[in-house]
Amino acid sequence: MGAAAVAAGLLAGGAAPAELEASGRNYYVYVAAESDDEVSIVRYGPGGAEVVKTVAVGSYPAEVEGPHGVNVDPDGRHWYVSIAHGFPYGSVRKYETGTDAWVGDVTLGLFPATLDVSAPTGLLFAVNFNLHGPLEAGSISVVEVDTMAEVARVETGVRPHGGRLSRDGSAFYSVNMMDFELVELDAFTFEITRRLPLGDGVMPTWVTRPTPDGKVYVTGNNVARIFEIDLESWRIERTFETGAGPYNIDVSADGTRMAATYKNGDAVGFWDLERGEETARTPTSRTIPHGILVTPDAEFAFVTLEGAGADPGTVEIYRLATGERVGAVDVGKQAGGIAFWKQDD
Amino acid sequence: MTGIRCAAAVLAGVVTLAAAPAAAQAETGALTLEVAPDRLTLAVGEKATLAATVRDASGAVVDDATVIYLSRARRSVGVTRAGEVEAYRPGEFTLVALVPADPGGGGRRPEARVRVEVPVTVPPPAAARVAFTDAPAKYYVGTRPRLAVEVVDVVGAVRTDIPVTFASADAGLAEVDGFGFLTLRAPGSVEITATAEGVSDRLAIEVETSPVTSLELRAGAPTALTGDVVRFTATARDARGLAVRGVPVRFAVGGGTAPGIIAAGAAAHVAEDGRFVAERSGLYTVVATTGRHSAASTISIGRRDVRREVEVVGRGRVLDRHTSDLWIWEGTDGRDYAITGTWGADGHAYIWDVTDPADIERLHEVKVDARTVNDVKVSEDGDIAVISREGASDRRNGIVVLGVGNPREGVPVLSEFTDQLTGGVHNVFIADDHVFALSAGRRYDVIDIEDPRNPRRVGRFELDTPGHSIHDVWVSDGVAFSSNWTDGIVAVDVGGGGRGGTPEQPVELGRYAYPSGWNHAAFPYRSRSTGKFYLFAGDEAFPYGGYSNQRGGSPSRAAGWIHVIDWSDWDHPQEVARYQVPEAGSHNLWIEDDVLYAAFYNGGLRVVDVSGELMGDLYRQGREIAMYVPADPDGYIANAPFVWGPQPHKGHIFFTDWNTGLWAVKLRERTGPGRIVGEPR
Repeated sequence: MGAAAVAAGLLAGGAAPAELEASGRNYYVYVAAESDDEVSIVRYGPGGAEVVKTVAVGSYPAEVEGPHGVNVDPDGRHWYVSIAHGFPYGSVRKYETGTDAWVGDVTLGLFPATLDVSAPTGLLFAVNFNLHGPLEAGSISVVEVDTMAEVARVETGVRPHGGRLSRDGSAFYSVNMMDFELVELDAFTFEITRRLPLGDGVMPTWVTRPTPDGKVYVTGNNVARIFEIDLESWRIERTFETGAGPYNIDVSADGTRMAATYKNGDAVGFWDLERGEETARTPTSRTIPHGILVTPDAEFAFVTLEGAGADPGTVEIYRLATGERVGAVDVGKQAGGIAFWKQDD
Repeated sequence: MTGIRCAAAVLAGVVTLAAAPAAAQAETGALTLEVAPDRLTLAVGEKATLAATVRDASGAVVDDATVIYLSRARRSVGVTRAGEVEAYRPGEFTLVALVPADPGGGGRRPEARVRVEVPVTVPPPAAARVAFTDAPAKYYVGTRPRLAVEVVDVVGAVRTDIPVTFASADAGLAEVDGFGFLTLRAPGSVEITATAEGVSDRLAIEVETSPVTSLELRAGAPTALTGDVVRFTATARDARGLAVRGVPVRFAVGGGTAPGIIAAGAAAHVAEDGRFVAERSGLYTVVATTGRHSAASTISIGRRDVRREVEVVGRGRVLDRHTSDLWIWEGTDGRDYAITGTWGADGHAYIWDVTDPADIERLHEVKVDARTVNDVKVSEDGDIAVISREGASDRRNGIVVLGVGNPREGVPVLSEFTDQLTGGVHNVFIADDHVFALSAGRRYDVIDIEDPRNPRRVGRFELDTPGHSIHDVWVSDGVAFSSNWTDGIVAVDVGGGGRGGTPEQPVELGRYAYPSGWNHAAFPYRSRSTGKFYLFAGDEAFPYGGYSNQRGGSPSRAAGWIHVIDWSDWDHPQEVARYQVPEAGSHNLWIEDDVLYAAFYNGGLRVVDVSGELMGDLYRQGREIAMYVPADPDGYIANAPFVWGPQPHKGHIFFTDWNTGLWAVKLRERTGPGRIVGEPR
């Protein structure tokens, strides 16, 4: 690895970095707590990080329904959360941002997990992970969010996860964890167009949104690697050695920086993609890092930590450039999915 | 670059307007989308093709524009990427054609899309045939048999929504009403016609003079209590005094409630076979009729005075987390113990000494990698406990086997078993050295624990219905009863069902589902007083919303009830009774010595007399012996009763409450008539 950073002192609930305090800028993210059936809105800005609201998203008080993936419509007006468990099928629920009022929901397949919404078509794509079933083909659901109707379901492979749309909305990328491959779905015709084997036994858990220069990054969770894949050549161009269990990744909008959670290593890795070097690796303050997002201005990375047992989940905030942890706040148990909502000044 | 991307590139720079209302055309400042035809009417199975035309601002056709077709009801009407439509089911549906917006702006907020909606009407298929079914063998003057018909449409589906009209060829002999009831006036031949959407069936009937010259009605008992099922037997006789079989006899009940019961509503009812039950005390007269003959018999119903008060004996407080299920057993040392689970917390199970229910002692806490230990069970010999795990940090849940033979000496973890149970085990049961463990709500696995340190899977049972799901399993006398939400209760021979089933190779015996789809728990029970085999099936439902399970939250409110199913014949289960508490909902249950102990969440603990034959609404019949609604201002959610599960043990009733932990109560001795809601004191 490159220059590994030592864990920075945690600014627990206190002040944000001076320049952020001075700017008055706030970042808002949605975070799903899988074992508390709730989604929290976390603000980070002057005064540090805080939970500004928590929304219960289950229907059964005495059954754990498992909110897993969360995302915000590109128009910023609605947010969506996948509910992993049902009887037996999971669902995706739609809420209005701001009011957080429930708008609608749709039943999908077994354990719907990662989801993304297309700006050009208004279609939501969600992978049906079927995490605990037999090793059989899972699927990708396509949902028209205006009516929350499932308009297509495409069989994709075993244990699909980590779906992200291309910036023009024409392609949806996901990985099949137990088929060891990256999959490209035509997001207009809903047909699988390409598959890329990642190596025998390599279990991918995440794929990023394509960068402006046509790269996606895929985790090899069990081999401690991240693969850079060129979409035009459809080949692995670079392989990065990471900490144990790279799980989720996000890349800055300009495609030059990457941050990844190391689920088994209880750390977050920060990468300079131009140099292909890990510039920092910071231990997390709690076990089992899960989700990660890079803010649109590429200043910060927000990371969710699941914790174990009765531990609360945690959202940590890191400087993307240095890997320094600059904030943290506890949320519900088993924090996982995280999505950027808005930034204000 | 793919063709699609080429198409998207062509559209680059186009500014689109907001989503169009239902119309065949939408336009933007630069683009117009037209779809023809603008609406469709298709028969089931019929196909059509949509044609989309995209024009630019100058009106020129954009040949390679991307158009996406969607169906908002894809299982009822399908559309391909080329716009080919096929109708599968009747109804009103909407297809959508849209042109993706230009993503090139780079900002988060996209421009709106060009979109057209195409309404599709698929009329219900026409009726193909109508047929009389199950017609009576004999028709007697003066009786009112009902004729049943079945309507089948052109695609072979049985339809209940198509109106059927009836007509008689000779109303002087036989009149027929709109429901198919005949009024048979005189002997002779007559043809009855049933018609649905122009198709008909005819039934020729021969009306005979009734041989009945007298009708007798006998009550099974002159007096009874509310909730007692009394059989009224009608005997029709001919002129020779011989019983006539096969003549239709109808029953009705009238009468009045006891003085002091005002506006009671329907206080008694009689079934088609003459079984009678009253919900309120009073004097009731059952009338039987056949033809011009009738007979009446009166019965006096007294109040079912079973009410007893509840006394709290002791508590095992758990106020810092939710408590889940419990099991009480006598240990090998002769003392009495309890194990309770925890929910949404830190993976604890607690072991209690409950030998003196007034002084419950927490002996041990077992902590496993989980957030919820939803279920706890102990083997028949009191030596082994199995606890379920959900929310394990490594997402490998499974079960944990504990040694509970001598809890005062310790409760060792003997083994854990996670293979193919990673998705979470919600409920378990132990029977004859086998654990029946649910896996991810889809099936149950049978795990041999004869050697508790080396569990091994030996069998499995899973339904094959679409979208099947399972919530619980309970084993009794070698038959496993699983609770399967919409699939209802499924009885499976695992060694005692008489159909060759074993733990290794379970054999289904029968199943019973009911319309709500809320089936959550089941308790098999053979009535001591009648010998009937009943299955008590409990619901779980939270239709009212607004719940909270977090500390400092607010009380939740459940719905659902306990269904009583007479399952004396595996092939013919019959739901005969219910126990439904208004504004509360059922959870776990236990039955012993003809007494039902039921957890009713916000409705607390309920104790119910289920002796004798069961029929109708047990709650309204005054069969409830006792209720206790626990609350504690220091509860995990303050003053929020949420009773999870009960178990009687050596004269006490133990139960767990989600927000307060373990309770021990007992029924006080009766010192006189009890207060019965709905009955005069």
